Amino acid sequence: MAHAIDTHGHAHGHHGPRVLPADLSAPPVVNLWRSRALIVAAVFAVLAALVGLLGGPNGAAHIMRGYLLGYMICFAFCGGGLCMLMLQYVTGGKWGLLLRRPLEAMVGTVPYLMVATIPLLLFGKGLYLWERFPTIASVHDALKNGLINEGQAHSLSWKHAMLNPWSVFVQMLVVYGFIFVWGSLLRRWSLQRDLDPNRGTMKSYDYWRIKTENLSGIGVLIYSIILTIVAIDFMMSLDINWYSTMFGLTFLVGQGYVVLALSVHTSIRLSKWEPFATILRKTEQYDLGKFMLAFVMLNIYLTFGQFLIIWSGNQAEEIPWYLNRIRGGWWVICSLDFIFHWVVPFMMLLSRRLKYSRSKMLALTTWMIFARCFDMFWLIEPGFPDTARHFHISVGTFAYLTVPVAMIALWMAYYLTQLKSRALVVVNDPHTVEILEPEHAH
Amino acid sequence: MPVMYGTYGLLAEFDTPAELTRATYAAKEAGYRRMECYTPYPVEEVASALDVHDNRVPLLTLLGGLMGVTTAFLMETWISVWSYPINVAGRPLFSWPAFIIPAYEWTILFAGLSACFGMFALNGLPQPYHPLFNAPNFRLGATDNKFFLCLEAIDPQFDREQSRAFLEQLQPVSVVEVDL
Repeated sequence: MAHAIDTHGHAHGHHGPRVLPADLSAPPVVNLWRSRALIVAAVFAVLAALVGLLGGPNGAAHIMRGYLLGYMICFAFCGGGLCMLMLQYVTGGKWGLLLRRPLEAMVGTVPYLMVATIPLLLFGKGLYLWERFPTIASVHDALKNGLINEGQAHSLSWKHAMLNPWSVFVQMLVVYGFIFVWGSLLRRWSLQRDLDPNRGTMKSYDYWRIKTENLSGIGVLIYSIILTIVAIDFMMSLDINWYSTMFGLTFLVGQGYVVLALSVHTSIRLSKWEPFATILRKTEQYDLGKFMLAFVMLNIYLTFGQFLIIWSGNQAEEIPWYLNRIRGGWWVICSLDFIFHWVVPFMMLLSRRLKYSRSKMLALTTWMIFARCFDMFWLIEPGFPDTARHFHISVGTFAYLTVPVAMIALWMAYYLTQLKSRALVVVNDPHTVEILEPEHAH
Repeated sequence: MPVMYGTYGLLAEFDTPAELTRATYAAKEAGYRRMECYTPYPVEEVASALDVHDNRVPLLTLLGGLMGVTTAFLMETWISVWSYPINVAGRPLFSWPAFIIPAYEWTILFAGLSACFGMFALNGLPQPYHPLFNAPNFRLGATDNKFFLCLEAIDPQFDREQSRAFLEQLQPVSVVEVDL
């Protein structure tokens, strides 16, 4: 590692603080990335339509499953972005200063997610029993006609207060209302903070620090509840009988995993151009790598913890969820998930050299986003009668590739638009001066 | 143990880690190899300048971890399957998910102990006597607010006059000669 710092340090040959460029806005290359994202979105939307047409009814059902995957990933970027933004306000730290504008851009995409929720509520009959049988009376009819078994009927009636279309609709209003209000306030304050006439003074620093901390502290708490609701409504209820108290938490950590991957990826990509070329130092990139490692470890800790508890309990209501996802060939996907999602990033992030290397961190963060999608595939696909304990590839399976890629690419285009809409560097923050200090080796 | 006479090295005192890092790079460039930095807290860049990152501690840690995981897993398997088999709610005797947590704990324990004691061993610790403590400014400042670079006399390039002149042009607070 010494060599990287060594050459870097000597190339500059000056020891004073670096100076921010006059123009702090996003480089023009962001426009190019956005056009590319839109092209990818269009191509994959066409491919998704082909899957829907060629796959028959099975293909159409899979389109919605792929849609759920894309939705959950985009939600992770948007909601998880808000959570990470609040976390950096609460904890302070230079890493947060670097990521603040990318995170704000993620939060800014909340209208996309609001619109994307509507199809899940309208066309989710193939996904959720609570949407197919929305009233207690229809549950009884379904039981009489043999469409569901007694256990499912019992769960549907028992969970009816939370899991019925209107209730979920109201819950989503609360969820997105919260993300919108908290996101808008933090985004607005961030701009006002930079325009503060007293900027650069201790008084201004303290004023904004306390203000953002107060909103973020309670926000982190509310967000963990809100996220649990989304995870229950859209993921856990794929199997109406199943429940796990760890489920919301695994999603919270999973969001941290994927949000850090995307924001670090964005920062490193931007660092070829100003202003990130000036502000992304090796020190903070290394710190962010360590932070990612922490999320990778916490992720496997919670995921394995949930598995071990359910495996030990061996209860008839709980264990089928895992058996559906392990038996009938699914163990291959399950093992690959373990390798992709945990072994690979864990091993890679242990290395100092890799955390300092820009190109390798770019590759790894891309991989982590893919791994999160793969994990989501394992969570979603075995949850249906045709695929539980029976892993097979049909035309419909390709919906898991085409639909999420189209959705995520479209989301990316929106995200990049948001990223362009404001300066990439926060000015009125004591950390800005620190981040401009030369690293000791320089 | 024979009594040794002579010079241990030249000790330059700095006020900031940045100055120390620059001085270390400069000494490296000037050809010095036997040198050491002393700081009140870990300074990553100084370690990079000295090029001491590539050491055997990670290897020892890995070996310790592997030893821990194998020992624990095999022990649990032996106990549950052969030594004292008990039927727990009809589960198989070889119930590997239940073995993971103790095996993991042993991995951490063995890896941690190997890292710690491996680091001590590779550093040549414990060391009851070190010549640098003969320098009063080192005694007072090394664990508090001072940053030191010591060029050791066993370096072939070491020359009492020239090395002192070299260190002085790096503008340290002081340069003192330390006896063995």
